[in-house]
Amino acid sequence: MVFFSAILQWFTNFYDKNLGFIAFIIRRWEQVVEYTYNHFTLVITVMFFSLILWISVGLLISRYEKLANTAFGIGNILFVIPSISLFGIFITIPMLGLGRTSAALALILYAMMPMVRNVYRGIKSVEWPVIEAGRGMGMSAKQILFQIQIPIAWPIIFAGIRVTVVMITGIATVATFIGERNLGRFIHHGIARESADMIIAGAVIVSVIAILLDYILGKIEYKITSPGLKRE
Amino acid sequence: MDRFISTLVDRSPPHALEHLQLVLIPVVIAFVIAFTVAVLLTRQRFVKYTDRVMTIFNMGQTIPPLAVIAVFFPFLGLGREPALFALTIYALLPIARNTLTGLKCVPGEVKEAARGMGMSEWEMLFRVEIPLSMPVVMAGVKISVVLTSGTAALGALVGGGGMGAVIFAGIDFFRPELIVAGTLIIAAIAIILDRILTVIDNLLTPPHMKT
Amino acid sequence: MIVLDKVDKVFPGTTIPAVNQVSFQVDEGNICVFVGPSGCGKTTILRMINRLVEPSGGDIYIKGKKVSDKGVNPDELRREIGYVIQQIGLMPHRTVEQNVSLVPYLLKWPEDKIKPRVKYLLEMVGLDPEEVSRKYPYQLSGGMMQRVGVARALAADPPIMLMDEPFGAVDPIVRGRLQEEFLRLQKEMKKTICFVTHDINEAIKMGDHIVIMNEGKLVQHGTPMEILSEPADGFVKDLVGTDREIKLLELTKSKEIVKRTDDIPSEVWEKDSFILAIDPVQRALETMMKKDTNIVGVRDETETIGTISWNDIKKLINKISGDQ
Ligand SMILES: Nc1ncnc2c1ncn2[C@@H]1O[C@H](COP(=O)(O)OP(=O)(O)OP(=O)(O)O)[C@@H](O)[C@H]1O
Ligand SMILES: [Mg+2]
Repeated sequence: MVFFSAILQWFTNFYDKNLGFIAFIIRRWEQVVEYTYNHFTLVITVMFFSLILWISVGLLISRYEKLANTAFGIGNILFVIPSISLFGIFITIPMLGLGRTSAALALILYAMMPMVRNVYRGIKSVEWPVIEAGRGMGMSAKQILFQIQIPIAWPIIFAGIRVTVVMITGIATVATFIGERNLGRFIHHGIARESADMIIAGAVIVSVIAILLDYILGKIEYKITSPGLKRE
Repeated sequence: MDRFISTLVDRSPPHALEHLQLVLIPVVIAFVIAFTVAVLLTRQRFVKYTDRVMTIFNMGQTIPPLAVIAVFFPFLGLGREPALFALTIYALLPIARNTLTGLKCVPGEVKEAARGMGMSEWEMLFRVEIPLSMPVVMAGVKISVVLTSGTAALGALVGGGGMGAVIFAGIDFFRPELIVAGTLIIAAIAIILDRILTVIDNLLTPPHMKT
Repeated sequence: MIVLDKVDKVFPGTTIPAVNQVSFQVDEGNICVFVGPSGCGKTTILRMINRLVEPSGGDIYIKGKKVSDKGVNPDELRREIGYVIQQIGLMPHRTVEQNVSLVPYLLKWPEDKIKPRVKYLLEMVGLDPEEVSRKYPYQLSGGMMQRVGVARALAADPPIMLMDEPFGAVDPIVRGRLQEEFLRLQKEMKKTICFVTHDINEAIKMGDHIVIMNEGKLVQHGTPMEILSEPADGFVKDLVGTDREIKLLELTKSKEIVKRTDDIPSEVWEKDSFILAIDPVQRALETMMKKDTNIVGVRDETETIGTISWNDIKKLINKISGDQ
């Protein structure tokens, strides 16, 4: 019963205030631009380092099977740590403190699980006769990696990248509690001021960024995936 | 170190219990709702809507967890129930997605064979479709538990209590031991729940599907 | 050309050798066919020749050079050896054309030499280049994939070919055509070929030399004629089958048993019962039945060289049936 009335109430309120958040965005346009810029650059920075780091780790553990279990163990533990804790732990490290480095490092750690797992899975998805054929025709280990394994694993690796981008864009909002001036701040301050407009404005912009990034990456994925792998 | 241990001992039990509730109640309610919706959506009559609903679910996952917690607060106010409500919404998506995927992936031949053996719609649902999709469904429940456990820490922002309150206190007053203690408890809760679900999963999965 | 000397292979984690003290030799320009039941070590032998696995004991020589020498780079060795793998293993992300041109690219052939080569090879294996060049492997049938695999292995014109059941997935009619086409080409190419098959008939048809394996051991090796006429033991006899007499008739060329004479009986002229010297003996038998006679004349391209009589055929068959 509580839930039912809650939903009803929420809908009527939402309808009333639907235009409120748009008005809010227009009114605070400069701040919106600043926060969006900060949010976006944080996500890009995190993704840049994550791609380099976690793709390498993924490739490494797909070659050295023994490391795989360790890596997945670490990834799983990182994943059960709430985002707010990870941010909190980083700011207490003396060298880092409040701010962007802590935020970025925490988010890079979060990116580990989906990225490493998908790189590993992708590389493992290459059927052995294909590798055997490559070796049998005299391809070097490097040629097999870059001309066979990575291209065939691309769709799965890319799926991992997309999931990670969406996730990082969302979790980056939590970094507002350790001093990041990004879109999470609208939500954070919105709670303090009990302003639905502010909260919704923050949420909507973040979601739009996430959907947009996912869409763009989807297009890129389609472009660079070999048609041979897009079987119907 | 002493201070850390005493914090862990003093603060934990009540907050941990609250936290456990913040995870369990939403996941259970979400499971019931998501499961029902997914079963309905895979019935003949509604099957044409599944793809559209799937798109909505996928969109839903782009909403940041912080926003899900915060967005109901201006309307529902502070407190435990609003936090539970928000977390339920958050827990829904992974379960619904996986249940839908699981049910959709039951091979057509299997269903055909079951129908051939004279099973009714209901028998087929309970004796074929649900058992066969159980591993995927349980994977969804596990994801949901981990995500909800992490997000429940944010529930403290809207007065939901739980371990999150300890962590936020740690951040606000710069007390690392509070952050670490809170984190350990939350991680422990998530891991224990995950283990329990693994056991349930093993009991529910038909023997031939085990790897 | 290829020599195996007491080669062993025990895979790590196993105790029973996959290949056990195998020695044989493949002469330059010959087709050597490996036959034997599943798991007897045929694939393992091929993989040791191009060093995809290293033998546990014994030596392998190609052109008198030990393949395990430090000076030999395995990748470069393999580019000189065409390999048709049993599971085909086409690159799913590359078109048929890109698959076939893989080794030429590795060897840095000029672009303008590769295109026509791909076209030629696809036609050779009975595929229409226009139709399949741009297709991806998933768009092909199993038999088509296998033929692309053969074309790919032949691409850089390697002097040595290892072919692991290259025609296993095509239907019997196409297989027969491919076998003949391949034999015709082999007359010009003169490659040294190791060919694996399950099918004893294919072995007899394709092989200059047959190696029969069982449980990692070499059971018998020799020409098809030797295998058919003197099976070493019960295992080979079973493998060759109960119809080895008929196989022998198919395999033996008329010129091998022809009685050379200028004295052709008039019956032969009257009934016009002639066969060619390169026809199998089976043809002599067919002609006798059709023309209701017990003697046929044998001609080569230009002239009549002799006769084959019913008794000559009986003698040939008795040669192998005598020991039954
Ligand atoms: N990489 C490996 N590791 C362990 N054992 C192997 C490996 N490869 C092959 N074997 C074993 O070696 C034996 C010979 O295998 P091989 O593949 O050479 O057989 P085959 O004659 O080619 O059989 P088939 O006709 O079925 O292809 C088998 O018992 C097989 O199980
Ligand atoms: Mg084999």
